[in-house]
Amino acid sequence: MSLIVFLIFHVVGGDPAYQLAGKYASADQVQSLRQELGTDKTLFTQYFVFLGQIVSFNFGNSWQTSQSVLQMIGSAIGPTLSLSLPAFILGFLLSLFISIKSLDSKKSILRGLVPIFCLALMSVSFVAYIIFFQYFLAYKMNLFPINGWDHSLLHRWSYLFLPWIIAILVSLGPNVLLLSSLLSKEMEQDYVITARAKGLSTQRTLWHHILRNSLLPISTAVSLQIPFLITGSLLLEAFFGIPGMGSLLIEAIQSADLPVIKAITVLSTLLYVFVNLITDILYTVFDPKVIIQ
Amino acid sequence: MYLATLLFILTTLVACTPKTPSEGVHVHSLLEANIPHLDPIHSTNKYSSTINSAIFEGLFHYHYLKRPLQIEPSLAASLPEISKDKKIYRIKIKKNVFFQDDPAFANGKGRELEASDFIYSWKRLADPQNKALGWWVFDGLIVGLNQWRADLRKGKADYDTPVLGLKALDKHTLEITLNHPSHHFLHRLAMPITMVVAKEVVDKYGSKIANHPVGTGPFVLKNWIRNSKVELIKNPTYRPALYPSESSEETQGLLKDAGKTLPLADKITIHIFREYQPIWLSFLNGTLDHGVLPKENSDQLLNKEHDIREEFSKKGIRVLTQVRPDVTFISFNMEHPVLGKHKKLRQALAHALDKKTILEKFYNNRGVVAHGPIPPNINGYVAEYSNPYKFDRMKAKRLLRDAGFPNGNGLPTFEYHMPNVSTWSRQFADFVKAQWAEIGVELRLVSNTWPQFDKKLKSKDAAIFDMAWMADYPDGENFLQLYYSQNVSPGPNSANFINRSYDSLYQQSLLLPPGHKRNKLFSKMVEFINDAVPSIFLVHRVVKLPYHAWLENYNESPLIYDYHKYLTIDQGKKNEFLKKLK
Repeated sequence: MSLIVFLIFHVVGGDPAYQLAGKYASADQVQSLRQELGTDKTLFTQYFVFLGQIVSFNFGNSWQTSQSVLQMIGSAIGPTLSLSLPAFILGFLLSLFISIKSLDSKKSILRGLVPIFCLALMSVSFVAYIIFFQYFLAYKMNLFPINGWDHSLLHRWSYLFLPWIIAILVSLGPNVLLLSSLLSKEMEQDYVITARAKGLSTQRTLWHHILRNSLLPISTAVSLQIPFLITGSLLLEAFFGIPGMGSLLIEAIQSADLPVIKAITVLSTLLYVFVNLITDILYTVFDPKVIIQ
Repeated sequence: MYLATLLFILTTLVACTPKTPSEGVHVHSLLEANIPHLDPIHSTNKYSSTINSAIFEGLFHYHYLKRPLQIEPSLAASLPEISKDKKIYRIKIKKNVFFQDDPAFANGKGRELEASDFIYSWKRLADPQNKALGWWVFDGLIVGLNQWRADLRKGKADYDTPVLGLKALDKHTLEITLNHPSHHFLHRLAMPITMVVAKEVVDKYGSKIANHPVGTGPFVLKNWIRNSKVELIKNPTYRPALYPSESSEETQGLLKDAGKTLPLADKITIHIFREYQPIWLSFLNGTLDHGVLPKENSDQLLNKEHDIREEFSKKGIRVLTQVRPDVTFISFNMEHPVLGKHKKLRQALAHALDKKTILEKFYNNRGVVAHGPIPPNINGYVAEYSNPYKFDRMKAKRLLRDAGFPNGNGLPTFEYHMPNVSTWSRQFADFVKAQWAEIGVELRLVSNTWPQFDKKLKSKDAAIFDMAWMADYPDGENFLQLYYSQNVSPGPNSANFINRSYDSLYQQSLLLPPGHKRNKLFSKMVEFINDAVPSIFLVHRVVKLPYHAWLENYNESPLIYDYHKYLTIDQGKKNEFLKKLK
C-alpha cells in the first residue's frame, strides 16, 4: 500500500517545490526547496523516509500550512465524525428496519415496491440530492441553515441535520437492497420453514432468528463502510461548509501537500485493517462455529 | 411517515438552537477558497491577502475611492522622499501606532510600531527557511538583501546582521536603498506581502506563527475555523484612521461616511466556501451581505444588457461591476520543436480562434476581447489598439499552407493542457479543439489537477495551455515581464519566449518613469509579442458582484484588499429588505 501511495504521488502528482516556489520561481529557488523538502533525493531514499514516518507515526508538518499534520487531522476528524457517524448509524438502522418491515409485510406490493424505490434512490446522483435539498429545505423552506459550522458541540448540530438527512437518504437505496437480499436468502433456510410451521410469527422469526443468523454477512458489509466514515464525504463537506477530512484531503491534493496526503492515506489504511480484524473477531461472537486460529 | 417525523424533530431542534446575541455592526463577507496561513509573507493570492489586510498593515495602500488606483500612505506618515537617482527612499512612519494586544508582548499590551519592525519583517520575507511565496517582491531589488539571504542560508548571518539597503535612521524613519531605480517599488510596498509583523510575536509562536496573526490593522482575529470561517472583531487599539473624504467621479456615491473613524464595523465574519450554490443561496437569503455571481445564475439576476432584473432590484439587491486587471490567454511552449519554430503556424492558430464567441459563450459577454497582455485601466493599455488576429479561417488556412502544413498535413497532434479538472475548462478546451480542427490542426486534450499543471508549466512539459494572469500591481510592466527571457520557466514566462530585441525594449522600459515615453515602448513590446505570437490573447474579464443595499460603502476592487474596514450595515434597511427576501 505504502509503495502504491508513494508511486502515485511521485508519478502523477505535482512537484511540491514548484508549488512552494510560487509563480515567480527561479531554478535556484526550486532546487533549494527540493533540498529542504528532501525531494531531491532518490525515490528509493524518499520511500524509506516515508516508511520511517509510518513506523514512528510522525508525518511532520504540512508543506502548505506549516502546521503539524497530526494536529490538522485532529481538528478535521471531529467534524467528519459528527457528520458521518450519526448518519451511518441512523441510515443503517433505518435500512434494517425498512428491510425487515418489507419482508414482514403480507402485502406483496410493498415487497415489490421497496426494491423499485431503492433503485430509484440509487439512480439519482449524490450531487443532485445535495443541490435539491439545499435549495428546497434550506433556502426555499428555511428549515435548516444553508451552510456553516461551529466547533461548539451546542451549536454545530443545526448545521448537521440537513447533511445527515441527505447522507441517510443516499445510503438507504444500497443498504436496503443489500439487507433485503441477505435476509430473504436466509428466509429460504429450512430452520425458518420449520419455525414458521411451528407457528412462530414472521416478525419474531425475522428479528430473533433470521437477523441473528445474517449478522455475519451484514457485519462484513458494514465493516467495509467504516473507513469511509473517516475520510469523510467530500461533497457534503464542500457544499455544507463542514471543515472535515474530505476538505483537508482535497486541499492537500490540490496543493501537492505530500505529508498530509500520506498521513490520511496511511491512517485510512490502518483503520481498514483494524476494522477487518475486529470484524473477524466478531465473527466468533456471531457464529461460535467460527474459530480464529 | 417515519421520514416526515424525523424531519419534524430535526427542524424543531434547529429552531430551538440558541441564536447569537447582537454584536453591533456585523458584516458577513465571503471568500471562495480556503486560506492555508495568516502570515503576510505568504499573501500571494486574493484570499490570504484579503484576510491579512484586515489584521496587518503596510507602509502604503491604495485609496479606496480613487480610480485609477492611487497609492497613499498607510503606516507611512507621508509619501517617501526619493533621491535624485531614484535609488534611496526615506520613509517617515506614523507615530502612536500600536500592535494589537497579545500575550507575546509585555503585560499583553501591544507595543508601538518602529521602523526596525519593517526591517525585521522584510528579513523574514528573505529568510529561505520561511519559504516565503512573496520573496520575488524584493528579489534583487534592495542593496545587500540577497547577500544577507545567501549568508543566512550558509549560517554566516543572522537577523542581527545589518543589510546595507535597509536602515532605521531613528524610531520612526526608514531608509531603503535600491540596487537600481524601480518605478513600481511603491506598488510593491503596497502589497500585503510587505506588511509588518512584530518580532516578539514571531518569537513566541515560532512555527505556529501563521495561526497567530498579530498586526497593527483594524481587526483582530477572534476565531478561525479552517475551511469554514474567519471571525474578526474591531481592534480597540487601532490607530486614528478616517474614511476618505475624496473620491473619483464614479465613486462619489460612497462619501456618506466621509471623515468617520475606521473601522466602521464591529465584527466581520468571512465565510469560506468551496461551492457556488451555497454562496448564491446564502446571498439570496440575506446571510451574506455580498456574494459572487456564478455563471449559471447570471441570467437569473441580470438581463441581456447586464443590468439587474427588476424583481431583484426591488428586493434591494445591487450589482457592483469590477473590471479585473487580468488577461486570459492560450500560450505555446516556444521550446516545442514544431510550435516554437513556425511563427506562421502560431499566427494561423490565432486567426482560427473566434475570440468574440469565446467572450460570449464562456464569459457571458462580461469583459472585452484582449488584443494584448495589458488590461484596461492599467498603465500602458491602449484602448484603440487592435491586433491583426481577426477570426478568419481562410487566412488561417493560407498561413498554415505558407508554414509548410497545408490543411494541417505534416503536423503532429498537439497536447493541449487544461489548468484544472472543471467542466468549464473541459468545455473551453473542447471549443478550441473544434475551432482548430476546422483548419486541420488536431489537439489531444489533457486534463490536470493544478499541481500537475503547475509542474508541467514549470518543467516546460506543456505544448499548448490556457491560463490567466492577474496583476500583482497596477502597471503594464507586470504583464510584459511574462515574455522577458530572464523569467522563463519555472518563472512566469511559461511560454519560454526568448527574444533579445524584446528583452532590450523591456530593459529600457524599466528605466523610464510612467508616462508617454514608457507607454510608447510598452506599445512596441505589445506589437512585438503579437507578431511573434507566443500567446493568443483572449479576454480581459469584467466581474459582476452582487450585494445587498443594506451593505454600505461596498467597493471591492482588485488589488484593494483592505476593504473590510470601510464596510458597514444599515440595520433599518436590512430589516426591511430581509422581509422581502424571505
